[in-house]
Amino acid sequence: MARLELRGITKRFGDQVAVAGFDLAVENGELVTFLGPSGCGKTTTLRITAGFEQPDTGEVLVDGQDVTALPPNRRGMGMVFQGYALFPNMTARDNVDFGLAVRQRPVAERRRRVDELLALFHLDHVATHYPHQMSGGQQQRVALARAIAIEPAVLLLDEPLSAVDAKVREELRTEIRRMQVQLGITTILVTHDQAEALSISDRVVVMDRGVIEEVGTPARIYAEPRSAFTAGFIGAMNELPVRVVSQREGLVEREGRRFAAPGATELPDGAAGLLLVRPESLQPLDDGAVARPGTPILRGRVEVQTFLGATTRLLLGDLARTDQDLAGTGAAADRGGSPEQLAVDVPSSAAARWPVGSELQVAVPLASTRVIAARSAADAAAPRPSTAAAPAGVPAAGGR
Amino acid sequence: MSQSQPLTAEATRAVLTIGRSRRPSGSRAWSAVVLVLAVLYFFLPLVGTASFALSTGKVFTLQPLLDALADPDAQGSILLSLGFAVATTVVTVAIVAPSAYLVELRLPRLRSLLDFVTILPFVIPPIILTLGLEEVYGIHGVVNLVGSPVLLIGGYFALTLPFVYRAIDNALRAIDVRTLTEAAESLGAGPIRTFLRIIVPSISTGLLSAALLGFTTIMGEFTLASLMGYPTFPVMLNNTYASAAREAASLVLVAFFITWACVLALAVVSRRSPAARAVATAR
Repeated sequence: MARLELRGITKRFGDQVAVAGFDLAVENGELVTFLGPSGCGKTTTLRITAGFEQPDTGEVLVDGQDVTALPPNRRGMGMVFQGYALFPNMTARDNVDFGLAVRQRPVAERRRRVDELLALFHLDHVATHYPHQMSGGQQQRVALARAIAIEPAVLLLDEPLSAVDAKVREELRTEIRRMQVQLGITTILVTHDQAEALSISDRVVVMDRGVIEEVGTPARIYAEPRSAFTAGFIGAMNELPVRVVSQREGLVEREGRRFAAPGATELPDGAAGLLLVRPESLQPLDDGAVARPGTPILRGRVEVQTFLGATTRLLLGDLARTDQDLAGTGAAADRGGSPEQLAVDVPSSAAARWPVGSELQVAVPLASTRVIAARSAADAAAPRPSTAAAPAGVPAAGGR
Repeated sequence: MSQSQPLTAEATRAVLTIGRSRRPSGSRAWSAVVLVLAVLYFFLPLVGTASFALSTGKVFTLQPLLDALADPDAQGSILLSLGFAVATTVVTVAIVAPSAYLVELRLPRLRSLLDFVTILPFVIPPIILTLGLEEVYGIHGVVNLVGSPVLLIGGYFALTLPFVYRAIDNALRAIDVRTLTEAAESLGAGPIRTFLRIIVPSISTGLLSAALLGFTTIMGEFTLASLMGYPTFPVMLNNTYASAAREAASLVLVAFFITWACVLALAVVSRRSPAARAVATAR
């Protein structure tokens, strides 16, 4: 239970920059997730924190103490590995007990503590089982119990749920969060699964190509992504190309129509931007329904219906002008030639009203949208500058 | 007779290989044929030896065997061979296991070099090995080890290195050495504890087969012992054969029994121990 600080962490493997200028403070009892695609540097950063890798530059601090030079076995950090890494020659109980045995705690105390942990993770009935006799979920719970047994200053979880099946994953996810809150352990979770990151974190660190894209609460990152990368990586997002016409007034232009949109005040006049809007924010207009004045409206033809449970996602193509036009076919060129599509989530109970082939008008509630800088073609092609971290909040270079 | 001794080591290797391999069921018939041929190949000489050793005229009796064992020379040579075999096995495994672990964990680049070095004893004839050892550790050598059993054990170390290293390296590759080590480190364990408490138990079957291969090789080794003047069991067999062929044949049977006892022990140990079973299943 401690405050963890990573200062200016940089790590190269040969020519490859794995992590560049990573700065982060994790507060006592906080659960912070490193989220990003494979190769974004999240695992390297975690391994540097644990002491398995040495950073080229930068420091790891626990409660203000510099531990960068300490070997992993003297950092007191609990780690849960992707493939469990249980000791195959030991029972569940002995696995959990290992760290306590190393610390030469009195036998009675060890027994009590191991019993507690086995109970906490519902493992009592498999205490004498060897790893190969347990299910994936049970093995992962043993791995968690083993890491927590040593009362770690910081708990490090490296894609802990990637090896278990979907149903167990959700259960374990909840269990990890419950346990983490209950015990108040400062925790770092590494994952490429945005649903996992959003569901259990206090804060999410979105990473791409070795640098932090942005840091924020799950709600903030979901509602107001500050970079095109985050927008594209987290959840489903519609991106409509716009151009900023007035930074001062927060006005953007699309296909000759001007309107005010949140975020436009942060971009310079003339900048190419993307208007971001979630599929669930778009409001389908039934025949005769009228949107609030000033609300842009898009019209399109339903091409695909995807049943998602409570909602059904409609994919609109053939986006066309309406009276309060926002869409245009010219936009296709901005998106690498792919025809523009729009995802709209509607309640599944109402989905039958818009069968494939039918026309649909949707209102774009501007309050639920956000304008960010577009990925420029140069950005997308050129490698990211190797050392400079993107300043927080500035939506630089999101393209992948 | 010295030739039938290395055969025991060969047989052991064959038994281990058959026990380990997992073939698709389609080739089962073919495997059976090979197995039968192998059994005939290995057992016919043994049956021949046994019938020669134990039959006086038309009666089979264990008396020649007991007589041979009662001979103080035979007892001494068996004990000497056992001593060398145990010492060499312990030394070799104790040196090779940590080395292979370190190479696997920290110096993977050295692996190809190690692979090469451990093949050398296959390529270098024992006679050359002996001459080389005499050159460096002989009377005119850098260090004079003549008369010390250390010299022979050193030579045996080189001879058994290929088998021991390969068995241990295979076992190490079958487990995730790196992650297991990191897991132990993150729980506070230092390198020695990690090796002894986690790695060694996880590769115990591999260590046992390594030890067995080394042991049987030394039990049957003739050239080095003979050249260095140690009356080990094979050397004594060779001497006996000239004068008392039947007694020598009896002693060959003894050698077979020792080897088989080792194989049986290995099979029992690797089947009984829950830890070894756990590791084997985890693979």
